[in-house]
Amino acid sequence: MKYRITHSTLYDYSQSVGLCQNEARLQPRNFWRQEAHSSHFEIMPSPTDYYERTDFFGNRVAYFSVQKPHTTLLVTVVSEVSLFPKQNNLDLFNAVTWEQVQQILQGNVLINSQSQSFDNQSQGQSQTQSQSSEYVLELFDARQYVLDSPMVSVSAELAEYARASFLPHRALVEVVHDLMSRIYKDFTYDPTFTTIATPLSDVLQFRRGVCQDFAHLAIGCLRAYGIAARYVSGYVETLPEPGKARLVGADASHAWFSVYVPVIGWMDFDPTNNKVPHDQHITLAWGRDFSDVTPLKGIAFGGGQHTLSVSVDVLRLT
Amino acid sequence: MRNNSLANDIGTQYYATQLGIYDEMYANKVKVLPYWERFMAALDSMGTENLELRRREAQRLLRENGVTYNVYGDSKNLTRPWQLDPVPLLISSEEWVAIESGLKERAELLDLILKDIYDKQTLLKKGLLPPELVFGHEGFLHPCVGALQKQKRQLTIYSANLARGPNGRMWVLDDRAQAPSGSGYALENRTVMTRVLPDIFRQTQVHRLSGFFKSLHKGLVDIAPHKKEDPRIVILTPGPLNETYFEHAYLAAYLGYTLVQGGDLTVRDGKVWLKSLSGLQAVDVILRRVDDSFCDPLALRSESKLGVAGLLEAVRRGNVAIANPLGSSVLENPGLMAFLPRLARYFLNDELKLPSIATWWCGQARERDFVLQHLDSLVIKPINRGFGNHAVFGGSLSSKEKEYLRSQILAKPHLFIGQEQVSFSTLPAFIDQKIEPRNAVLRNFVVASGSDYEVMPGGLTRVARQKDNFIVSNQAGGISKDTWVLATEPDKPVSLWTQPKRNQLIDADTEALTSRAADNLFWVGRHLERTEAVTRLLRVILTKLREVFEFKDPLDAECLGVLLRTFTQVTGTYPGFIKCDESFLKEPEAELISLVKDGFRRGSLTANIQAFFQAAFSIRDLWSQDTWRSVDNIHRRWQQRINNLELRIEQLPSHLDDLMTGIVAFTGLTSESMTREAAWLMLDSGRRLERALALISLLRSTLALRHEDILQNQVLESVLVATDSLTIYQRRYRSYIQLPLVLELLLLDEAHPRSVAYQLHELSVHISALPRCKRAGQITAEERVILKAYTDLKLCNVQELTQVNEEDGVYQQFEELLSNTTDLLWQLSELIAEAYFSHSQTSQLMVNNTPEDEL
Repeated sequence: MKYRITHSTLYDYSQSVGLCQNEARLQPRNFWRQEAHSSHFEIMPSPTDYYERTDFFGNRVAYFSVQKPHTTLLVTVVSEVSLFPKQNNLDLFNAVTWEQVQQILQGNVLINSQSQSFDNQSQGQSQTQSQSSEYVLELFDARQYVLDSPMVSVSAELAEYARASFLPHRALVEVVHDLMSRIYKDFTYDPTFTTIATPLSDVLQFRRGVCQDFAHLAIGCLRAYGIAARYVSGYVETLPEPGKARLVGADASHAWFSVYVPVIGWMDFDPTNNKVPHDQHITLAWGRDFSDVTPLKGIAFGGGQHTLSVSVDVLRLT
Repeated sequence: MRNNSLANDIGTQYYATQLGIYDEMYANKVKVLPYWERFMAALDSMGTENLELRRREAQRLLRENGVTYNVYGDSKNLTRPWQLDPVPLLISSEEWVAIESGLKERAELLDLILKDIYDKQTLLKKGLLPPELVFGHEGFLHPCVGALQKQKRQLTIYSANLARGPNGRMWVLDDRAQAPSGSGYALENRTVMTRVLPDIFRQTQVHRLSGFFKSLHKGLVDIAPHKKEDPRIVILTPGPLNETYFEHAYLAAYLGYTLVQGGDLTVRDGKVWLKSLSGLQAVDVILRRVDDSFCDPLALRSESKLGVAGLLEAVRRGNVAIANPLGSSVLENPGLMAFLPRLARYFLNDELKLPSIATWWCGQARERDFVLQHLDSLVIKPINRGFGNHAVFGGSLSSKEKEYLRSQILAKPHLFIGQEQVSFSTLPAFIDQKIEPRNAVLRNFVVASGSDYEVMPGGLTRVARQKDNFIVSNQAGGISKDTWVLATEPDKPVSLWTQPKRNQLIDADTEALTSRAADNLFWVGRHLERTEAVTRLLRVILTKLREVFEFKDPLDAECLGVLLRTFTQVTGTYPGFIKCDESFLKEPEAELISLVKDGFRRGSLTANIQAFFQAAFSIRDLWSQDTWRSVDNIHRRWQQRINNLELRIEQLPSHLDDLMTGIVAFTGLTSESMTREAAWLMLDSGRRLERALALISLLRSTLALRHEDILQNQVLESVLVATDSLTIYQRRYRSYIQLPLVLELLLLDEAHPRSVAYQLHELSVHISALPRCKRAGQITAEERVILKAYTDLKLCNVQELTQVNEEDGVYQQFEELLSNTTDLLWQLSELIAEAYFSHSQTSQLMVNNTPEDEL
């Protein structure tokens, strides 16, 4: 499946801006399910300083600064991405229980001994040394996603909400499926209710929010039980209603979450659509929560009031 | 020589050490250590009274030098004077060798840990450090991973708090690794001690501190990117509200660095620049006193107003070095202490020479259970410092509180540690005129310089004010002490000056005045001048008030009315005496007292003096010591006088005379000791601008309206007195007092420093001298405005100005001239702000909207 994504952000200022610095995580990253063929920025006015790097989580980051006076700033990214969905869904029947995963991720035993004990349980003796050390690193990496992060702090309320999904000895994959569909059922999608600053407790109390809130909510529920979960930002292909033409630029950014299942790796879940991302979810970046993967942020000097408009277009090429 | 019975009054005989607690003088023995004995004998021979005098002298010196420690949440007493006890902590040279090598080893170890955490993370991957300990600490900054520069040492400055346990062993209580404070206070304590106990200091061979600062400078030069030989180093401060702001300013002045706030810096082309009056100047090294997460609103905390957007990007590209690097606060995690012995073996193949206080990190099940079982005997600390996060003594909690703490630890165990409760050693302190034992903590300072770490031979010792109190902190009102490390041979003084290589000519650096400093200088000038104008006018009013009372002449009363209305106008405190009842004018005392005293009232004398002091304090590093003393004098003496609840009008004249003396001292000092560069130009421009405005306001409200001749003469005389011009007028024009002549002197005479013409002339000269990019042959907007104001004034004719409009009795042209000049001066003030005070430009955060999705 191949897509072309065009994502434009326009800032309009009431007064001139003399200097602005920006950080963008708008270029899709590569991983086993996805390959970004091309991804380039068009920035108006053109930046004096532009630098790309990879951040701590492996996301692509572009830093740029516009150093001459301007009253509008237009940032457009055009990316072409191929998705390689897995053919079978065997992962979804993985039987390892959430208690087992919790134990594996538990911090009080050091990694080496843990990996050993887990190897013995599930993989037997056949595993080679190199696979084992890769797995140890993966596990080490996953452990940071059990901890609180700037926008997701585990609370008794979150644990309470999640309790119904965490039945004893249930397979983790089943737990997450159940949690996803409960969030889908219990919560109302309401873009007027939340902003970036709305705390998770409000989302939980009023049962309203947008994809970002639902992803944070699920992450918080999972972390409350010692499960590693991370935040994924990206896009989802939307299909026009039957009989209507596709509207260019009517798409939007999207967000979902991912859960670490030992040996299988990270599995994505989209609570907003109650779906396991397959061949319509294009990944931009991942991190502990939204604050790690903010698609575009900047600091402008001067400018007075500003308005912001965003347009996203996800076009299926093949 | 004093005899024994007298010597006893100092209290050394009754010095009661506590059982089971180590005392520095006795070292667990029955007899006092010989070097302490010598020192205490010297104190004894001095006697209580004398020692108390020296203690007060020390307090006076500290206060005059502006040594303060700000206490958060105490805006009324923002600057708390620094407390210094005249009895130092003595450390023998043998013991010092052990402490010194222990601190060096610890700095080295922490440096290696820092390098690993922000680069390869081998410690985490090998399981030597649990990820929850590192990733769960707020000091671990994800964006800083991979951003370390190629430096021999990453940890440039390190500081540790040490205390001695009951067995006489030194323990590290905590490690300070991001922006350690205290070295400047230690230096100032030493400076004061050598002045108040010069004889004892001379007799005792004590290591000097200046070598440490030379090493600090070298250490900072070492880390400058691109191996620059003479890098520009700045100290980044959160500003005058910060608790240790004094020290930031003090070190900046002592080391010759520019003191900057976040707004003074900008990042362009991936480099850091100082916004100075003469344009952008490259910055190579930042000695930071801002917490790391606040240093870059783009990459780190977006709500921070203290940082520089893009700073981390400049670091990543290797264009600026920061001491200590962003992210170094990860080393301040107290949970790390539990792992240091293991890491010392791993990295250094050695046991820690200077152990940490026993620490159990609850992120491990066994340690957590231990802590929960021993809650009563441990100190429980959250690993993250912050609001509401503080250490608690488990034993002092109620059972309900204990249960709550237990549940918190169980919910997120990796966020807590338990620590042994240590009883610190005691040390003699001179408290309430007696020598008494007090629990002490010693803060040491280490700096990476050249190939090795160097330790300041001394440090900041602090004792609790109360007996048997183990909470020793400045926020809790502790007292500081100098720390004397005894030398085996006398230390040679070290000069901070670097010897240039032979025949090397050093380019004189033009003063890099930041735009923020320029702004403050301008306002120091304006506030002080405003204070002076109000004071002078008030003195005239008080005289007139007394005359009215004494002679009951209605003419005096009428003149007083004019002056009171003028006072309202000059201070801008409407409605005041304008449009008020006759009775209010007859009993103006209450309003006058309020305009003197009420600091919350804009335009009052106190408000002006406070504003002057705040502006001067914000640029504490720029004043010479004498000048600062005069600033402090103006402010402190005034506060003392008006804090008198029953301030009576009769007391005012002497208060005002005293204030004038203070103002004149400041004016004289600045004009005699400041180089005629940008700083002076800004200070004096503020002063000239304000003097012109105040003078015009005075002339307008007293003279623009025609009075009867006899009243006018009185008013004219008052105006001449209020402008300190009566003598010169009398000498020049003898006994005739006439409006045109007064105007000639006060408005047009360029040779008279109190005339409007003089102010405008000086302003135009200053403004042309200020640095500014412009094309040859062109003049700037500021030059244009001042030129117009000056020319308009020069072109006017006194005869025309004094033509009165018969209908309304207004001197029309005079009034127009003054009103136009006022407008132009206000325009000028705004233009100067626009052109030079670029730091005040506000920034805003732009964040993409919440991702929305189509269902």
